[in-house]
Amino acid sequence: MDAALSWVGTAGMAGDAWLRHTTPDKYTRQTLDLSGQTLLQIGRDLRKSPRPAIDNAMIDTALARSRSHIARMSRLVVEKNAPDFRTQLDSLRQDQKLVKQLADSIEASSK
Amino acid sequence: MLQITLGIVTSVGGFLEIGSVTTAAQAGARFGYQLLWAIALGTICLIFLVEMSGRLAAVSKHTVVDAMRERFGFPFFFIVCVGIVVVAFMVLVAELGGIGFGLQILTGIGFPWWAVPISFVVWLLMWKGTFGLIENGASLLGLVTLSFLFAAFRLHPSWSSAGAALIPSMPQSGKAQYGFIAVSIIGASISPYLMYFYSSGAIEDKWDRTYIPINRFIAGFGMTFGGVLSIAVLIASALALQPNGILVDTFPQAALLMTTALPKWGFYLFAVSMIFACFGAALEISLAIAYFFAQGFGWNWSEDLEPSKNARYAFVYTIIIMLAAIPLVLGVDPIKVTVISMALTSATLPLAIVPFLFLMNDPIYLGKYRNGWISNTVVAIIILMSFVLAVISIPLQIIGG
Repeated sequence: MDAALSWVGTAGMAGDAWLRHTTPDKYTRQTLDLSGQTLLQIGRDLRKSPRPAIDNAMIDTALARSRSHIARMSRLVVEKNAPDFRTQLDSLRQDQKLVKQLADSIEASSK
Repeated sequence: MLQITLGIVTSVGGFLEIGSVTTAAQAGARFGYQLLWAIALGTICLIFLVEMSGRLAAVSKHTVVDAMRERFGFPFFFIVCVGIVVVAFMVLVAELGGIGFGLQILTGIGFPWWAVPISFVVWLLMWKGTFGLIENGASLLGLVTLSFLFAAFRLHPSWSSAGAALIPSMPQSGKAQYGFIAVSIIGASISPYLMYFYSSGAIEDKWDRTYIPINRFIAGFGMTFGGVLSIAVLIASALALQPNGILVDTFPQAALLMTTALPKWGFYLFAVSMIFACFGAALEISLAIAYFFAQGFGWNWSEDLEPSKNARYAFVYTIIIMLAAIPLVLGVDPIKVTVISMALTSATLPLAIVPFLFLMNDPIYLGKYRNGWISNTVVAIIILMSFVLAVISIPLQIIGG
């Protein structure tokens, strides 16, 4: 889950920087696409590994929602649509909090 | 003052290249300030080793490789040569990849496309340039990395916590990863090719005994310069990336390092810093490998000579640079090469440091300028540490890498 949190955080930070017009569009899109692809792979890997005391469906939902926001953000970079991008980024930040909570729960349950 | 550039360019190769920046960023992102001690330890070790290699060159007019071959014979030199050159070659691949990554994040064009043009520019500069041009040019360009220090200050770090992290401590979780990153930081700092490059540079710059005090200053200032900047990368990462949970597994993640501290220019400064620093390091490593072969096999060598006057030396760097471009063209991830090469550097350290201790105590080479008890104690500690690193680096790479 740390890796998932890392990539959701990466997408969020890259999104923030794009909104401030301080990173090139191509970098932002590539980073968002990479985040989405990596989250997909992490989701697959997590499904294979045992996760005691954690709701699997909750993790899948959180990761799928994050991926969906990231994919939309990537498209909005192409359209240069900052207002909608900001809305998606705010939603991603909510998901980031949820992923963080899940990561903390997994860490606590593994101790 | 111009002599200081040798220290800065050596330091750029040791601290401000893709390996050190990546490991320092990873260390900060995963463990906050906790691994600052590893950078400090690597810096102190490197100051001593670089000072000694400069002293050896200034007094004996021998480079470290030259003296090693003469003192221990060709078979021993050949064993060291294989180990050191393989690792240095991997580091060269990683540095060329670092330049490519920098250009990739600026342009959106993937790093494999940059591999051939970058390698050509590095080769052209080696072919046409003089040692002074490479030394001063790389040092001047490397100064852009001061932006890491500026970024760290802008984030208002807790200096008391940073100071406390200079004393080693174990984390509550992720011990294998912590050990692996610590080994990588030390391995990336005490790279043997730095000693070979620095002593060759001292001969290129025609040092004699009058340079001994200057050498001490250059080694201390130059390596501290690199160490401080490496610490700045770690601090910036701890304060900007760790709160976002970013672990720095790839270069695009590292590129966000300065976007919090310097919102307007941070991204571009990071890209340009990496391009210049990796460029300086690529030149330094290419030179070090060519020097290593030429001095070991007794060929003519000097970056100031026309390639026609030291054809075999020029042939070595031409081939090495061409070969280093191949994995990048094929899309091999430079970060993965970096991670493996740093662990291997740690594993090959005893090969380079043990004979160095004998050389630095040999009256034939150094006369009254032999190592004193302080230097010998430090080298003995480095040797002990290098054996420990050699034994644990590979298992730690498997468990924690």
